[in-house]
Amino acid sequence: MYDFIEPALFAALTIATIASGAGVVLANRITTSALLMAFTFLNVAAMFLLLGAETVAMFQVLIYVGAITVLILYGVMFTPQSPRPYGLFFQTQKWWAAVFVVPIAIFVALVSFTFKDSATVAPRGGDLLPLATSVFRDFAFPFEVASVLLLAAMVGAIVLVKRDEE
Amino acid sequence: MPVGPFGIDPAIWAPLRLVIAVLLAVGLVFNGALAQIYLERKIQAIIQDRLGPLHTGPWGLLQTFADAIKLLGKEDIRARLTDKWFFLAAPSIVFSPMLASYVVIPFAPGIVGADLNVGLLYLTTLGSMTVLGIVIAGWASNNKYSLIGGLRSAGQLISYEVPQILSLVTVVLVVGTLSMVGIAESQPGWQLNVLVLPLAFVTYFIAGLAETNRAPFDLPEAESELVAGFLTEYSGMRWAIFFLAEYGEVTVVSSIVATLWFGAWHGPFVEVFPLLGVLWFTLKTYFFVLVFMWIRATLPRLRIDQLMSLCWKVLIPLTLTNLMVTAILLLVFPTTVVPVAIANWILLAFFVVALPYVQRRRLVALRERLRTAA
Amino acid sequence: MAVPLGAFIAVSAVLFFIGTAGVLVRRNAVVILMSVELMLNATNLALVAFSRRYSSIDERGSVFVVFIFVVAAAEVAVGLAIVLSAYRNKPTVDVDEIKQMRG
Repeated sequence: MYDFIEPALFAALTIATIASGAGVVLANRITTSALLMAFTFLNVAAMFLLLGAETVAMFQVLIYVGAITVLILYGVMFTPQSPRPYGLFFQTQKWWAAVFVVPIAIFVALVSFTFKDSATVAPRGGDLLPLATSVFRDFAFPFEVASVLLLAAMVGAIVLVKRDEE
Repeated sequence: MPVGPFGIDPAIWAPLRLVIAVLLAVGLVFNGALAQIYLERKIQAIIQDRLGPLHTGPWGLLQTFADAIKLLGKEDIRARLTDKWFFLAAPSIVFSPMLASYVVIPFAPGIVGADLNVGLLYLTTLGSMTVLGIVIAGWASNNKYSLIGGLRSAGQLISYEVPQILSLVTVVLVVGTLSMVGIAESQPGWQLNVLVLPLAFVTYFIAGLAETNRAPFDLPEAESELVAGFLTEYSGMRWAIFFLAEYGEVTVVSSIVATLWFGAWHGPFVEVFPLLGVLWFTLKTYFFVLVFMWIRATLPRLRIDQLMSLCWKVLIPLTLTNLMVTAILLLVFPTTVVPVAIANWILLAFFVVALPYVQRRRLVALRERLRTAA
Repeated sequence: MAVPLGAFIAVSAVLFFIGTAGVLVRRNAVVILMSVELMLNATNLALVAFSRRYSSIDERGSVFVVFIFVVAAAEVAVGLAIVLSAYRNKPTVDVDEIKQMRG
């Protein structure tokens, strides 16, 4: 009797995700783009929750909304532009982009519906334990390499933006 | 679908339960803030050798209501050049994650909003969402002091998330579950986690002070710094929402401390009367809230570079070492936590003794250098 | 009636194409970085959908997603560092105007 909740929730999340994704690309002001991007991340996290992947959803919000959005907002604030029409106002290629991207997107979306299985099998305890076991047992080496990658990125970013001391 | 009490039809009970839970959380936050505003003024006053609010009601108890009425009556000013929607949205972005944190806090055996499998991870996630609200508040005020205050606060919050999460992970290693109810249940009687992991408690408490922008880490929002930082342009009810968010976050951090290290609702007679757990939990939480206020009245404010160097040069190596030592000891002695406890107390003693010693030596060397340079 | 797997993949595909269009069309370097993040999110969604559908076998899709989180964070950090360095050289983030090395 309550079977309508899940498809209704999924439909609402789909509309929100795609609308905010389109808003990121089409918005005139860059701060609107940044905040709509954060909203897209939240919607994708909600979809993860709908799929029962709660750990991944928490990581998504923690990393994307909590850190990457702030990083991009810092990037926006430290690169102020002179006020002039932004966004796609002067962009002459936007009609070509629409002509190519929209039909291909619709085609791929329609083809995706050939996967007839239902995605949400019966709730079975979430994904914390399998995820943790896999990462720390089967994929321990990629885990270590990922931490080295983060270290390299951190050092590299600091070195790149350091001002040369005169 | 959950079947409601008195056999209410599940179709009505499920959304009704949600509404009741949200109203309970909001009531908890507001009443908690009422109590805490009064307590803060009285306690700060007593520590500062004065008396605090006296005239509004007996012992000044109605002072908070007077404050609330004043804030509600203020004119809702918004500077014209501020970004309208972001300016209006920022208080909500800061307030909502704090409100959502109340859902996983275990008040008593059986009284918890939702026993999430990843409860602690959920709380950490919500803590990281407030950063976004503060950055937006600072930027939308169109005021360079607000912007600097907002960016400084964001930097502080992001930096102090690391020792916070590392301390929590140390406790999770010992307890074995991320669920808040599981952690609360793992400490029956006198086997409190603080006896096993005191260093994690201390580092989490310090990081929690910084996470909630409380003194001595309240540089971004102090009234005498940067003209109140990112809160400059907010007045009246909007400022009150930031304020409520801060007190609510203080309560959440105190609840986490009470749950993880002091056995959330454990206490005398709680097996006989489960509801008594609410009393013990509230007492423990408010004890830590009082410690927050005590620290605010006692310690001077840290400068932003002192704050950052405390985080990156002291707390992060300390929490990393703690985590590493705990993990190694748990691998070597998988059945007992006594080695972990010994190692933790040793590290805590080292922290308490060595840090002031090292700082004093650095200060003496700095003074020497300045004297010879002058 | 549960949600079919294809619907999640369709959403992921559309989001990926929106991100690609953003990378190709927008000229502001920070917006291009944001569109790349959209593409990465779309990939994550598809991976998690498949992983949860076949989670009786294993959850390696979700493991891959965790590593994608790591790489995306590192990439945004370094990408913004590059954009800020270029901004210091010439105060613009318009990728059409950073063309001193052009032929």
